[in-house]
Amino acid sequence: MIRVVTLDPFDDKQLARFCQTLYTAFGVGCEHSGSVSVPAGLSEPLDAEPLLDKVEGVRAYQDDKLLYLTSRRLKDRQLPSGTAPTHGFARYGKDRAIISTHPHKDLEAGFKPVARHALHQLGHLWELHHCLDPRCSMYLPWTPSFPQGEHIFCTFCRDKSEQKIRLAKS
Amino acid sequence: MPEGSAPAPLQLAVGDRVVYPKQGVCRVTAIDVKEVAGQRLTLVILRREEDGAVVMVPEAKVVSIGVRKVATPEEVEQLYAFLRSDSDKADLDWKLRARTNQDRMTQGGILGLAEVVKGLQVLSELRPLPTKERELYDSARHLLVSEVAAALSTSECNAEDSIDLVLFPPGRERPKRTAEEFKLKGAGDDDLELDSDLLGLDGDLDLPADEEPAPAEEEEPEAEGEGAEGETEERAAEAPKKRGRPPKARSEAAADAAPKKRGRPPKARTEEPAAAPKKPGRPPKAKAAVAEDAAPKKRGRPPKAKAEPAKTSKKK
Repeated sequence: MIRVVTLDPFDDKQLARFCQTLYTAFGVGCEHSGSVSVPAGLSEPLDAEPLLDKVEGVRAYQDDKLLYLTSRRLKDRQLPSGTAPTHGFARYGKDRAIISTHPHKDLEAGFKPVARHALHQLGHLWELHHCLDPRCSMYLPWTPSFPQGEHIFCTFCRDKSEQKIRLAKS
Repeated sequence: MPEGSAPAPLQLAVGDRVVYPKQGVCRVTAIDVKEVAGQRLTLVILRREEDGAVVMVPEAKVVSIGVRKVATPEEVEQLYAFLRSDSDKADLDWKLRARTNQDRMTQGGILGLAEVVKGLQVLSELRPLPTKERELYDSARHLLVSEVAAALSTSECNAEDSIDLVLFPPGRERPKRTAEEFKLKGAGDDDLELDSDLLGLDGDLDLPADEEPAPAEEEEPEAEGEGAEGETEERAAEAPKKRGRPPKARSEAAADAAPKKRGRPPKARTEEPAAAPKKPGRPPKAKAAVAEDAAPKKRGRPPKAKAEPAKTSKKK
């Protein structure tokens, strides 16, 4: 199951539509599992990695995936090969990910790109790597065309995610 | 490493992190002496970090299998430099490419993995990858990301993003490539076998040419003794022995005639080119000439014939 946890206030109807989109994409149940506050000591722009370590969890099963949703900006990550634009971050193969609706006004205004980023980070939780197909949500998130694409997976990534979900259930 | 020299032995200790080709990063959990098939072998027990799978490798075969230590940060920098550079394009021959990629995956080290990833990524800019190569690309990428993450002691997402920052710099779309870029310098057009590459055919059918002379197979069993052998050697030197059914002898007339066509021969056409084109459906009925002048045919029950009033004489 995918549990959406909000760090900032969002409209309930928009959240319901967002959960419906994630359910359609992955074929697993998705619900809004409440709100938690940003850990103390972290200010905008939020550093995604320590935030995922320190943020409070919610009641969930072992194979549930937690997606934290915030409207605040995430800090770009400094990597050995350069600076990576960060709209989201995930613990690869684990259970937590975070995405931001920044710079969109709200979830409704930027629904398509936010949903695509959500699929991307959740895909990392299910051990998907970046994809070569520009139409797939696992395509590189910092390319200019990424926000315009649809929130879908290519056949290869879809099959792989379904396989991982089946293995997790069994 | 120069050819012919023995590979340097790999000193392993418990707790070392190593890379097993095609399996990923493993950790040495123990080095034991065990008896296998009557022989006492020193086995290195490796546990894969991804899922805990256990592999036991004889110590003498560690290097030949390709087990190596995890890359150092300096090697990762060289990796980034390689990925940043404009490397040679992948071969368009799928067989050669598959063999090369397999060799790189097993014995190429971290740079070999990077070559596979970059080669297939550049090829995908020409056309979409087939399923098998897509899986190979994914597998190579996974191994590369996990080794870079282990080398830099960072998370796998950061390792993957650091690789992709070099392969696909931010703010730019991936370029579209043409087959001309993959053409080798000095090679002919035979290299651009795109269709055969997609279909998996590669000209390996080795069909015999129709114009080859019939081999002198009937004469070979008769050859006995040195003299005969000498004759056969001469004949073999003239026309090498060929296998298969000898081609049929063509008559000259047939050679001059039109090439043989397959399928049903066309129907002979009658000379009525000016006739109206054939219409589908039932042909119209022939109308009689009398009927044409008569009243048009009416449907339904014919009207009753009106009976004439009987002529009766009135008696007074």
